[in-house]
Amino acid sequence: MNKLTKEEVLHVANLARLDLSEEEIEKFSYQLKEILDSINKINDVQISTDELFIAPWTNNTTLREDNYKEYTMKEDILNNSSYRFDNFIEVGGVFDE
Amino acid sequence: MSKYIDMPISEINKLLKNKTIKPIDLVNECFSRIEKSDLNAFITLDKENAIKKAKELENLPVDNLLFGIPIALKDNIVTKNLKTTCASKMLEDFVPIYDSYVKELIDKNNMIVIGKTNMDEFAMGSSNQTSFFGPVKNPWNKSLVSGGSSGGSAACVSAHLVPFALGSDTGGSIRQPSAFCGTVGMKPTYGRVSRYGLIAFASSMDQIGPITKNVYENAVLLDAISGKDERDLTNIDKDKNFTSLIGSPVKGMKLAIPSFYISDVIDKEILNKFNEIKYMLIDMGIEIDIVDMKYLENAVSLYQIIALGEASSNLARFDGIKYGYSYKKAKNLEELYKKTRSLGFGDEVKRRIMVGSFLLSGKNKNEYYDKALMLRNAFNIEFDKVFKDYDLIIGPTTTTLPYEIGSSLNDPNKGFLDDILTNPVNMVGLPALSMPIGFSSNHLPIGMQIIGKKFDEKTIYKLASFIEEKLNLDLGGAYNE
Amino acid sequence: MSKYTATIGIEIHVELKTNSKVFSPSKNDYNSTANTNICEIDLGYPGVLPTLNKGVIMSALKACLGLNCNINKKMHFDRKNYFYPDLPKGYQITQARTPIGCDGYVLVDNKKIRIERIHIEEDTAKSLHANNKTYLNYNRAGVPLIEIVSCPDMHTKEEAMKYLERIRETLFYLGVSDCKIEEGSMRADVNVSISDNDTLGTRTEIKNIGSISNVGIAIDYEIKRQEQIIESGGIIEEETRKFDSATNTTVLMRKKETGNDYRYFPEPDIPYLEIFDDMISSVKESIVLLPDERRKIYLERNILPINVEKLINNKDLSDYLNNFIETDINFKIASNLLLTDILSYLNKNRLSIFDTKLSINKFNELVTLLSDGIITNKIFKDIMIDILESDSSVKDILKEKNISLETDTASLEEIIKKVLLDNEKSVNDYKAGKENALKFLMGMVMKEVKGSFNPKLVNETLIKMCKKM
Repeated sequence: MNKLTKEEVLHVANLARLDLSEEEIEKFSYQLKEILDSINKINDVQISTDELFIAPWTNNTTLREDNYKEYTMKEDILNNSSYRFDNFIEVGGVFDE
Repeated sequence: MSKYIDMPISEINKLLKNKTIKPIDLVNECFSRIEKSDLNAFITLDKENAIKKAKELENLPVDNLLFGIPIALKDNIVTKNLKTTCASKMLEDFVPIYDSYVKELIDKNNMIVIGKTNMDEFAMGSSNQTSFFGPVKNPWNKSLVSGGSSGGSAACVSAHLVPFALGSDTGGSIRQPSAFCGTVGMKPTYGRVSRYGLIAFASSMDQIGPITKNVYENAVLLDAISGKDERDLTNIDKDKNFTSLIGSPVKGMKLAIPSFYISDVIDKEILNKFNEIKYMLIDMGIEIDIVDMKYLENAVSLYQIIALGEASSNLARFDGIKYGYSYKKAKNLEELYKKTRSLGFGDEVKRRIMVGSFLLSGKNKNEYYDKALMLRNAFNIEFDKVFKDYDLIIGPTTTTLPYEIGSSLNDPNKGFLDDILTNPVNMVGLPALSMPIGFSSNHLPIGMQIIGKKFDEKTIYKLASFIEEKLNLDLGGAYNE
Repeated sequence: MSKYTATIGIEIHVELKTNSKVFSPSKNDYNSTANTNICEIDLGYPGVLPTLNKGVIMSALKACLGLNCNINKKMHFDRKNYFYPDLPKGYQITQARTPIGCDGYVLVDNKKIRIERIHIEEDTAKSLHANNKTYLNYNRAGVPLIEIVSCPDMHTKEEAMKYLERIRETLFYLGVSDCKIEEGSMRADVNVSISDNDTLGTRTEIKNIGSISNVGIAIDYEIKRQEQIIESGGIIEEETRKFDSATNTTVLMRKKETGNDYRYFPEPDIPYLEIFDDMISSVKESIVLLPDERRKIYLERNILPINVEKLINNKDLSDYLNNFIETDINFKIASNLLLTDILSYLNKNRLSIFDTKLSINKFNELVTLLSDGIITNKIFKDIMIDILESDSSVKDILKEKNISLETDTASLEEIIKKVLLDNEKSVNDYKAGKENALKFLMGMVMKEVKGSFNPKLVNETLIKMCKKM
């Protein structure tokens, strides 16, 4: 197979919260397969380490002293949203939690 | 017509000091050149504030080499009150509410921000063709790509529209466009420059770096933008002195060329030019060996897994709720997410975050991601081995010369294959610089890469400066008025 | 007796009481005006990075050590990716692979309930629901949490409730959290399954139950619900349910989604954190006596079991009493003192014992006077307000109030004898049944002793001696 199935494309699109048109699904089914084929080459590599290299950074994490700052960003932050309502950001209802 | 921008900054500095010119003259020259240029190198210009800042500086003492020098910032570097788009529809109208740390340092040094440069959308690409605002043209041939993702930054320095620019490099995004445009571009050691305010693509590889016309100025600019920022846990202030070895003898240096970097996938003209340099260096008493390094042929797969996994997570915050583009007609939350992201992101970004999400999902996570992080460790060990015996690693920066705009759009792997020689260092955090070493038969710049040990940028600058002086290239060809 | 055995596991989220948030310097206080304690980091603005609050690490370490966990010496954080409006970055920073603590336990009726893991994570924004809309308050986004995951070691609602109570009081004593379940600073999700054989049944998860007693009610209901389903031939489905306090039932929230795919991976912005032994030992040193240790001491020192629990429930009084562990004062008397009149005084005036003038020396003096029978409980009651509100010592207060502390009965008898001899007529009147005569004699004696004797003692001695005359 040189392409992903429609279901596979829709699954990854849903994970990334993307809404794809039929043409996009068709286009991406080939393109994603090409990238995944390239990625799959990693399965052939033999390596002799099992340590995870998270970031090229070996220093121990420095900790911030527990002091708080008073911020005055409320207005700027709320105004940057398309959905400001009074002191809140308002979105369509979510009730399951 | 004034030509101050063509001068070395040390000259400009003298003119500012003896009051022959004022910062406003530099700003005016930049804008007059930019307004005449058709490279599409900028997304946003900030003429008003640049002029204001230049006026303010008139009353201040010229106290450092960078004082009053105009600079352009890649548009993924956050600037308070100045639109920062990441070349995406998603942030087309986004005005940040805080400054990145590098912007704070630029202000502190009294440099003048001219504007925000064009780039690949969210820094994803290597030809600047994924920008929502259209491709950047290569100043040496406007039908060709500038390279990417920092294409606007490399092009505007190459064309002498501004003396300096900052780019960012996740897999080659400073070095590759520098090679294509004939500029000097440094990807510093991971942790050298604070990432606070750099819109993340792949957090464990992103690094901001300077793009300049010459090596010395690159070192000076890197000095200005690096320093300890408490807000970035992966940032450290150490071993700077970037210019300290410039001019010191190169005889006896030991350089390694990984055989992967001279393989036959690389363009013949590039290889020939690189070999000329190699022999020139050997003639100067530098020892050069070809070395075999394991895993380099896996760099692309490895890079794809790490970069796209991290990217899929980093770009999840663009949901239309808090800032940026939002699909206003959504009937429910799911629709708000999906429509906002589908309409706000371009194809390259969509492809990459879908692949990244897939790689991290379910059992793929162990199969791909964990394996990649182990391979990354093995990669690191390989580089350590080479650096036990050698001062630097050298090789070409790119496998090809700049190509036609529009020629690679349908190849989803093209953007990754362009980075085959540049992305290995990002995975392990090493510093690497690209510098021009000559031209192809059709007069396109060719770049060479110098890779150093962690936090040893100064040795890179030492060799680069030596080569630059030896070659004494005429790089003025790109900005003929 | 049901033929089914229930198996219960509990996940507890506890908000840590720090000054600032876990990954940003914003104030950790989400009771302020909505969206005031927020900055670009809390909202997940493009380009921001997390920093790591030392106070959170110290508090989490304290919790781990207090709950007998092993500490993970080298840890990292992970991103848990999912889309939800209360999650600004599209991922939550948590610890999936390397929790700060693991393999702990608490004792419930001498049985170990094992704690599988304790990890650090960030809270989400608070959602208010009204008019079919959700209103987001980011003051809570980034508030530090620890999640405590038990092993499925509990089998009855009583065990589950006691387990929660033990965790609550331990964390409260450690000072890492308010542990107010009703206000949401401690939240419990309960997993319940039942089985009539050795294989565990399918479990359901009950979310966000608002009090420990409701945990009991929810477990009861859920066990019965599952029994009924199995008895009528049905099968239990893995699902998430919500406790409804109006009806005391659990209701379905959602079936376990197959696509519940959190795509965990290590957080690259916070590389490895190593915890060194000196940090652990300094945290250990800062840990106060925990409830179980206090219980043991109190019982050994003969405090009534009911008073022991009262003390544990009143940490201030318990802390106050613990100042005397090294002394040999009578703990039974001391605890009685604290838990009766003093406690009602404190409650009435909304004070802590530490707000009063009852210094350690003064309390020591008071308990000694009482246990030596020098003053009576009645006298203590008379002078309690002075003791709690004035700087004077107990003895000075007694003196001011003309209450005698003298116990030298020989010298008292000497004085009385002299008064009786001088007032023979009155003695005879008293013997003839005139009570007024005794009052007169008493007045005369008190005048002589100048109030330096306990009036009760004077009265008793006087009567005794009159009768002998």
